[in-house]
Amino acid sequence: MIEISVPRLLAASLTATLVLGVAACGSRPSEKKAAADTSKPMTIGISLPLTGDFSQPGTEARRGYEVWADQINKSGGLLGRQVNLKIVDDASNQDTVVSDYTKLITQDKVDLILGTFSSLLNYPASAVAEKNSMVYVEPAGGAPKMFDRGFKYLFFAQPATAPHQADVFVDWIKSLPADQQPKTAAYPTQDDPFAAPVIESMQKQLEALGVKTVYSATYPADTTNFQSIASQLAAKKPDLIAQGAVFEDGVGLVRSLKQLQYSPKIMFQTSAPSNAGQYSSGIGVENTEGIFYTVSWHQDAKTPRNAEFVADYKAKFQNADPAEDAADAYAAAEVLQAAVTAVGSTDQAKLRDWLHANQVTTILGPLSWTATGEPIGKFLLGQWQSGKAQVVAPADAATSQTVVNPKPDWK
Amino acid sequence: MAQFVQAVVLGVLIGGIYALMASGLTLIFGVLRIVNIAQGAFLILVATFTWWLWRTTGIDPILSAVITAPLMFGLGWVLYRFVVRRISGQAASMSVLLTFGIALVIEGFLNVVAGNKFRSATPAYFEQSFRVGDILLPKAQVYGFLAAVVVLGGLYLLLTRTWAGRAIRATSQNPSAAALVGIGATATAALAFALGSASAGVGGSILSVLYPFFPASHYDWISRLLGIVVLGGMGSLPGALVGALVLGLAETLTATYGSLQWSTLVFYLVIMAVLLVRPQGLFGARLREDVA
Amino acid sequence: MRRSHVVALLCLVALLIYPVINPWQPYPQGVMLMMFLLAIQATSWNIISGYAGYISLGHSMFLGLGSYTAAIIALHTGVNPLWVAPLGGVTAVIVAVLAGAVVLRTRGHAFVIITIALLLSAQIVATNWDSLTNGSDGITLELPFWSADFQNIPFYYAFLLLLVLTVLFSAWIARTKFGTGLVAIREDEGKAAAIGVNTTVLKILAYAASSFFIGVAGGVYAYYQTFLNPVGSFAILGSVLIVLAALVGGRGTLYGPVIGAFIVSLVNEGATVYGGNSQTRVLIMGLILVLVVLFLPAGLLPSLSAAWRRRHPVEVSFTDQVGALSHNTAVVRSRLPVSSDRPGPLLEVRGVSKRFGGLVAVDGADLVVERGSITALIGPNGSGKTTLFNLITGAMPLDSGTITFNGKRIEKLPPWTRGHLGLGRTFQVTRLFKDMTVLQNVVAPQPDGKLRTMLADAVSGAEAARARDLLDVVGLGALAQQKAGSLSYGQQKLVELAQVLMLAPELVLLDEPAGGVNPSLLGRLTEVIRELNRDGVTFLVVEHNIPLVLSLCDPVNVFARGKCISSGPPARIREDPLVLDAYLGDDWRADAHA
Repeated sequence: MIEISVPRLLAASLTATLVLGVAACGSRPSEKKAAADTSKPMTIGISLPLTGDFSQPGTEARRGYEVWADQINKSGGLLGRQVNLKIVDDASNQDTVVSDYTKLITQDKVDLILGTFSSLLNYPASAVAEKNSMVYVEPAGGAPKMFDRGFKYLFFAQPATAPHQADVFVDWIKSLPADQQPKTAAYPTQDDPFAAPVIESMQKQLEALGVKTVYSATYPADTTNFQSIASQLAAKKPDLIAQGAVFEDGVGLVRSLKQLQYSPKIMFQTSAPSNAGQYSSGIGVENTEGIFYTVSWHQDAKTPRNAEFVADYKAKFQNADPAEDAADAYAAAEVLQAAVTAVGSTDQAKLRDWLHANQVTTILGPLSWTATGEPIGKFLLGQWQSGKAQVVAPADAATSQTVVNPKPDWK
Repeated sequence: MAQFVQAVVLGVLIGGIYALMASGLTLIFGVLRIVNIAQGAFLILVATFTWWLWRTTGIDPILSAVITAPLMFGLGWVLYRFVVRRISGQAASMSVLLTFGIALVIEGFLNVVAGNKFRSATPAYFEQSFRVGDILLPKAQVYGFLAAVVVLGGLYLLLTRTWAGRAIRATSQNPSAAALVGIGATATAALAFALGSASAGVGGSILSVLYPFFPASHYDWISRLLGIVVLGGMGSLPGALVGALVLGLAETLTATYGSLQWSTLVFYLVIMAVLLVRPQGLFGARLREDVA
Repeated sequence: MRRSHVVALLCLVALLIYPVINPWQPYPQGVMLMMFLLAIQATSWNIISGYAGYISLGHSMFLGLGSYTAAIIALHTGVNPLWVAPLGGVTAVIVAVLAGAVVLRTRGHAFVIITIALLLSAQIVATNWDSLTNGSDGITLELPFWSADFQNIPFYYAFLLLLVLTVLFSAWIARTKFGTGLVAIREDEGKAAAIGVNTTVLKILAYAASSFFIGVAGGVYAYYQTFLNPVGSFAILGSVLIVLAALVGGRGTLYGPVIGAFIVSLVNEGATVYGGNSQTRVLIMGLILVLVVLFLPAGLLPSLSAAWRRRHPVEVSFTDQVGALSHNTAVVRSRLPVSSDRPGPLLEVRGVSKRFGGLVAVDGADLVVERGSITALIGPNGSGKTTLFNLITGAMPLDSGTITFNGKRIEKLPPWTRGHLGLGRTFQVTRLFKDMTVLQNVVAPQPDGKLRTMLADAVSGAEAARARDLLDVVGLGALAQQKAGSLSYGQQKLVELAQVLMLAPELVLLDEPAGGVNPSLLGRLTEVIRELNRDGVTFLVVEHNIPLVLSLCDPVNVFARGKCISSGPPARIREDPLVLDAYLGDDWRADAHA
């Protein structure tokens, strides 16, 4: 009964898409690509969340990739070919990231691809790469299930997945004399695929060590009011507060704890404190003293090429400090570079086999992988000291030889 | 016991601030019969502006409401005259879509000019507390609460003691009768929209100190404000006050004694239950559209 | 009209053969299958929000529900999610019916808010019900089992098939009395209830109907993505895209949502490919939404067809007075129910009261309408006559008292049930569905609550034939295809009478039938009323035209201050000094000159 009229628009839009599609008739994806034209630049396709929810890490990752591309092009390129990054925006949207990588691989026929940011986007994106047999080195996406899928082309360019992130902190606690180890601990964590597994695994390990759990709670991602949690923590007075904090919740809890004037002996937060400038301005520089966190990379680490990375990053981006996300992206590119250089071609199957068999040196330290692409390594233990984020463990990567313990009161 | 008293005190302080934020929403609904989904975005817009003002000039964020409230009043007036008014007389749902669109525009605008990152203003007092016996009163909350009380009191006086205020109340109770006795519908509506926006001007300034925010935070805020207004009765100012206190208390008490994860769900269930059982809320008058 | 279907069919054929001629292009196929997915959602959304006018801002919830259903079953049983995708539709329908049963009791703002709250609640449940949904970690699914060469082609056809089914389903709904009922609800819900439309059941059915194909598509979508999590599956921006697509194309139309979805998807993809890394996507989407609401609220398709009609106007014919005056009423007579022989009055109102705040509009009123009579109800403005009508037909709940119709207590029944029992009414100010054609208006009433009636074809067959007959009776047969809003006021009154007659009523309540009707049509009107009355239809008439009342009606009841102050044959009322002095004296004279 509803009025129907001529849908000429339907026809018009269809014609448009058909033209778009017919423009290039390709070949069967599984057919071997013709030998690469070595005179042309080598194109690396990347889709990043440059807008939307993950735009912050996405933008940093872009900078990391760009610094790497500039460096390699200055030094003569990859396999003698100049590198050309084709970076598109996926607006933090799963549908878009799928269509982006499909386009990059099958339409634009890029030679190589690199990963995107956040597990949410890396899950579907890595599936596209796997379907098309492209090596997929992801700079982020350490959710445990990522590596349960038996993918063969997936590699995670960070030292450890979420459940193993806190191992380095537990090791440090173990190294303390018994009377200095915490007796009680509280574990508030955001319901987040990265933060929660870190804290869960830490809680298990510390309980095994005999640390009594006095508080454990998961709060939703949109929690803005931390006073209730803080007042419970203040009432239970744990020696250790270990928070699975993404960012704003980390700042929120510290501020609430401070208002309630409760300062634990040891304070650990997963990733919030690694956002250097924003974190210290959020809680006040003087309050950062002694707060622990884990991190995949540090600006002053003595790893190979790290100093160049930091210097080139600062030169390229108005003297800004590189973020961890940028370093992770840079490391992912390094992994791909090492494989391509060693194999001497962009043959995806060979690249895959080489990466499974070898260790790669990156600015994050040495990386190697299990058969499903899960990394075998450890994170760095960071601590804020005198207004600066330092690495205190493991010893060979440490940038500061002292550890602040116990944490001083809030200022 | 101390924990309970502490939770109640915090709940009341937060409730007062919620009440201020919700007052604009309920005022606009009362007069225009429009659910202003953009109210949350107004708050974030003001919070971002306040933060910028504080960073560049050092003006105290809560005091800067003196600047932001008139600015928002103007913005609300302009928005009403040139955008919202165009859809008066259309189906209710269209106004929801329109204000939703405005919220998206504000979010997008903030993304472009301010970037997609968390901010929060941190004046010296933001982490200090007054201590009363065992109870701690965070200074920022106390100042925010006081500002909210002052503004709500002012709003109350404005609505009861001035001609314009009485026109707003008359229109919200019976638009056609108000028009009959010579109250200009457009001017009153514009005034209500502008006042509602101005209250977000104060609310946003307080928000900038109390909560970290980023452009997309407005979804959290509008759902919270809607809950308050629905509970209290759409269009009723005393209702918004009570609804805000109830939800502020419920929030701190469930966080203290209940499960944090499910507390948000309880919140939405309250909205739904109230809309179903008593659509007019605790204090609202039954709408004519519900009767016919 | 048919031409649109031909164009749609051609498009479909082109879409069907596209992957055959160009098979190794997963990217355009991927873009197009997302287009189909959005079109499926927008077309489904259109059933509840376009046809019935209940705007849902949380419709992507059903996609998430479908995805989760298929994924959870796949996870626990190992069955391929594609085979259990239809179960996603079943989950969506179950949730829609359960939620709809409570949610659809609200209207306007409240419904929009609740749909958002539902979506966010679903997200919270998916996040926190770890044992079932894996919580915020989400669920990963295996890669498709077919060769990577064909990667997107099966999905392309799956979504295209679902889109075709969805459009056919939507078209079928639009043709049935169910569809007309939905539009009636959108245009005027109170009026819809008064003409026998069971608004509660229809709304729930429409909500369920709008969820099924989205749920099925959700199962397929989960397999396509191989991963789902609460934030992605229950995102509010997904719902915004649906609304935007349907608004742009034209809500309430059949192909509008499809066209809108195609446009919105292509613009979105274009922004990705050509927009670079601009931060402006949300801004642009917000601006489009604002601009569409402000300047193109009807959508592209209706606006274009309106422009087409302006350039190619159709000749409008006027009331066929001669035809009307000469028409034989036999046709009406044959459609009327056999009036029952039950003893006692047809309608009995006892001690009925209604208060609005402090104002007592009806104050313990008594009224009796004898079977076969034309009873009048007169009284000054504000005496409570229309309120009493509203109480009798159930448009408002009464505060106290009883109403008995045909020996049955009806004061607690919903308005449509009273309509099904044989109680029809017209309105003081006509309430036709202005955007429907005259014929659609007349077929809109639903004489009973049976599902069979609801799913009967509305635009052709017996219902339409009967409606045409009734239009001929009131002399408006020639205007059947005109929009009701374009008719004159008097014509609208006649259409409303024809509409009520579709219900085959035993008692018709006429609220000021003569108001605004020109004298020759008024003559026709009274004649029709007399004819119908002779055939057993009882009338209760509120009217200010006192001469008309006195000549047409017997008995006459006089209402003042919310109760009946006098009743009897017209001759006695005319002479009743009480009535004359207290009421008629002033009012009659004033009225006669007005």
